[in-house]
Amino acid sequence: MDTTTVNIAERLWIGQIGHAFIVLSLVAALVSAISYYFYSKEELTSEWKKIANYSFTIHSISIIGIAATLFFMLFNHYYEYSYVYQHSNNEMPMQYIMSCFWEGQEGSFLLWAFWNVVLGNILRKTIDAKWEAPTMAIFALVQVFIASMLLGVFIGDYKLGSNPFILLKENPQYANLPFLQVENYIAKIDGRGLNPLLMNYWMTIHPPTLFLGFSSTLVPFVFAIAGLWKRDFTTWQKPALTWTFFSIMILGTGILMGGAWAYEALSFGGFWAWDPVENSSLVPWLVMVGAGHVMIVNKNKGGSLFMTHLLAIASFLLVLYSTFLTRSGILGTSSVHAFTDLGMQGQLVIYVLTFLLICVVLLIHDKLIRVSYIMLSFLMLFFGIVFGYKIILLLIWLAVSFVLTIYSYMKFFPKEDDEESLYSREFWMFVGSLVFLLSSLVITYFTSIPVLNKLFSLEKAPIKVADYNLWQVPFAIVALLLVAVTQYFKYKKTDPKQFLKHIRISALLAFIFGLSAVIPLYFLKDYSSSSSVDKWNLISYALLFISALFAVFCNLDYWMRVLKGKLRHAGASIAHIGFALILLGALISTSKKQTISQNTSQKNVASLGENFNAQKSLVLTIGDTLPMGNYLVTYKGKERKGIDVFFNMDYFTKDKDGKLVKAFELSPLIQDNPRMGQASHPDTKHFLGSDIYTHVTYGVLSDTKEVKDDAYKTPTNFVGHMRDTIFADNAIILIDSIMTNLTEEQYTKNDSLLIVTAVLKATDINGNIYRATPKYILKNNMVLPDEFELKELGLKFIFWKINPNEGSIEIQMSEKVNNTKDFVVLEAYMFPFINVLWIGCIVMVIGTIVAIIERRRINKLKAQ
Amino acid sequence: MKKIHILGIVVIAVAIGVIFTSLQSSATYSDFAEASANPDTEYHVVGKLNKTAPIQYDPKINADECSFMMIDNKGIEKKVVLHKSVPQDFAKSEQIVLIGKMEGNEFHADEILMKCPSKYNDGKPQA
Repeated sequence: MDTTTVNIAERLWIGQIGHAFIVLSLVAALVSAISYYFYSKEELTSEWKKIANYSFTIHSISIIGIAATLFFMLFNHYYEYSYVYQHSNNEMPMQYIMSCFWEGQEGSFLLWAFWNVVLGNILRKTIDAKWEAPTMAIFALVQVFIASMLLGVFIGDYKLGSNPFILLKENPQYANLPFLQVENYIAKIDGRGLNPLLMNYWMTIHPPTLFLGFSSTLVPFVFAIAGLWKRDFTTWQKPALTWTFFSIMILGTGILMGGAWAYEALSFGGFWAWDPVENSSLVPWLVMVGAGHVMIVNKNKGGSLFMTHLLAIASFLLVLYSTFLTRSGILGTSSVHAFTDLGMQGQLVIYVLTFLLICVVLLIHDKLIRVSYIMLSFLMLFFGIVFGYKIILLLIWLAVSFVLTIYSYMKFFPKEDDEESLYSREFWMFVGSLVFLLSSLVITYFTSIPVLNKLFSLEKAPIKVADYNLWQVPFAIVALLLVAVTQYFKYKKTDPKQFLKHIRISALLAFIFGLSAVIPLYFLKDYSSSSSVDKWNLISYALLFISALFAVFCNLDYWMRVLKGKLRHAGASIAHIGFALILLGALISTSKKQTISQNTSQKNVASLGENFNAQKSLVLTIGDTLPMGNYLVTYKGKERKGIDVFFNMDYFTKDKDGKLVKAFELSPLIQDNPRMGQASHPDTKHFLGSDIYTHVTYGVLSDTKEVKDDAYKTPTNFVGHMRDTIFADNAIILIDSIMTNLTEEQYTKNDSLLIVTAVLKATDINGNIYRATPKYILKNNMVLPDEFELKELGLKFIFWKINPNEGSIEIQMSEKVNNTKDFVVLEAYMFPFINVLWIGCIVMVIGTIVAIIERRRINKLKAQ
Repeated sequence: MKKIHILGIVVIAVAIGVIFTSLQSSATYSDFAEASANPDTEYHVVGKLNKTAPIQYDPKINADECSFMMIDNKGIEKKVVLHKSVPQDFAKSEQIVLIGKMEGNEFHADEILMKCPSKYNDGKPQA
């Protein structure tokens, strides 16, 4: 790297401090991991413990130091640094400086490392002495890997990590920019700023929450690994349980915030699009929910040990895998918002595989197999780096690892002898966790299509949203049924009659309410016109609806009758009600989402094609009022505020006397950013029962103040047959008929004067019909110019040619300059009962918090 | 047979089902030549917008239709009719993926995915 020409104004010291912190954090984490390892081997030697603890403290301080340094640079606009230049600028208000911090990849790794440090310190202060060393050893090892992603050093030609503290002129993308050659350039430049698409409060709260969620999956993971390592498969689960439910709560919140952001501020037209980036945060959550539930089984009865380890480990590994998916550039065209490739693909693959290797190695309880597996892995890695064949080697390695996992499970893992009863809670909770695992595996498989393409040289296109829904609805139905009934089973053995007695009221209510809602919703409407809805979908929607209601009623009933309405014990019931409401809200708002912007404009009558049913857009000219759903909508005009162009719409309803009453205003906008391009932001009116969502798909951003100009534009020529249409800016013109003053016989005899009249029918926006009759006059074989002006519409026609062979006529039309009025094309949807979804989210989070508080209280009571 | 075995069978059945459907139903990335050969099959065609040819969009005639010329990865150029309003910043797109079928000599697409230089990532010009 060339830093020989030091510019006086460059503040190199701060970057050096930052990089020093990075190196220190990496080294300290490594020392900490090694010392914790030795400490765990010989628990009597407290020397290792001291070193381990001190080095983890140093690591923590360094991570905070890196963050503080980066923040200081952003806050003080040190544009000589690439990260500051790329992500901030002078006008940036305080809350967005935070957002700049994690907008880039390096910053988001740093945020991840920061949360890990926070959680790691809480963990080591609260954990039993027995588990401290093994869990923290793994924890520190993970931190080594994350810190290395910030390193940015070259090993040969290979760049390890990406350093956030490189100078602008060290960044190959900017190194040759001319302004960098100027002396004292720092004083003259301004940063590129935050992507305006991200400049909203979601960007301030969503990433920290989501990354805390990702971090939180690490704690159950280190516990499970420690359990495998120390071959104590049970005692770690009690302390890990609270952490697991914390993870479920916070990761769930992060994901739902992402959905809310997509719905409120981006123009997806929904809250969930099965985008790979969304999926890769959902999958670890599903697995973590499974892990939490089998842990509860183990706490009360024991039995699902292997499943617990599998799920607790898989959740974090899937976070790592999703990091690989979204940050390696492998998603390519299948995701709209994956990060750019920073050349870390190889590194990320190695990380995922390393942790997979550790898991399998710890599972194998046989020295010979263990050592040969490790040797084989390193040999294969070496061979792959030196000779290639990486993909084949990877597949072989994965197969070997899989076989060894199965073998170790059969051979070395403790298993229950007696079979669980069909009428036991533990059996159905196990099945529930399995359903969550299966669901997440299906999503992972679909999301991984680009990876499979690369592995097997395929050309498969990404899976469609409809296929995701098709596969996930059955899982959701089974999950809801289990959520409803499982709590009525007792551990070990339940009386089936008692069980049926408990659930019958809820079942009855669910059927009555469910059927009375489902029949009008899905079966009374005629769907024959739309092809996308088939019968199977409708049946599965109906089943989902009824199961969701069943789950709500059962849990309410359990809370009220069995738990006697006590809030303290009701965490699980409340969270389950929330879960059911989320699915219910998602189902209704998605399946009954209505496009209300179907084109009702008179103008389109002529072009009603086969696609009319599929039409989604409405053209709205300024001043027009058109019906849209239950409303009439008017486009009032646009205003520009900074880079945002707002399109103001008034929505009217009709009162009893048929008079228009203004109901509300919406101002969807198009952001016109010179750097990022144009982005459409929707505007949504929220009602209790439904949302009216509107976004502009096409609008002219430049100011088109109405031109007070009476002049005509240059005429355009139209060649047309009878019944053809001509489109003017303000009308549709139909060639209705053609009349002559002479018959053909008369014309051939007497060629003195021929008059052919074209009768044109012009329909304006409001449906008024005007007649224009331009004439073709032929006198003594000369065409006499004749102009017909349609004053009402500001149109002029000249009928100047007849092509007898083609049977067509030619007409010149000119329009007045000010006929062209400003217009927008918009799409509008009605989302019914989407509030059920949001209420469900809040209820689920509250329920989980109640459960965590209760768990902590019980743990404290027991400890006393 | 234990219940756990029944569950195992269900798991394997789901796995087979998923793999089978993904191999059967999911469309493949392709080019215009293949799409022309099978006019009834849906394809994902990857290519670039021909920026020298005009993008035709007249919302007053049909707000849900625009047409343009696209050059696929094999270099074949075809007229594309997209049954949507013209995407924002279309002219700046670097790579586009169309989902649709060939009809005559035109490719009719219902969906479009665009890779713009800088929409959701952090605005770096890509190499």
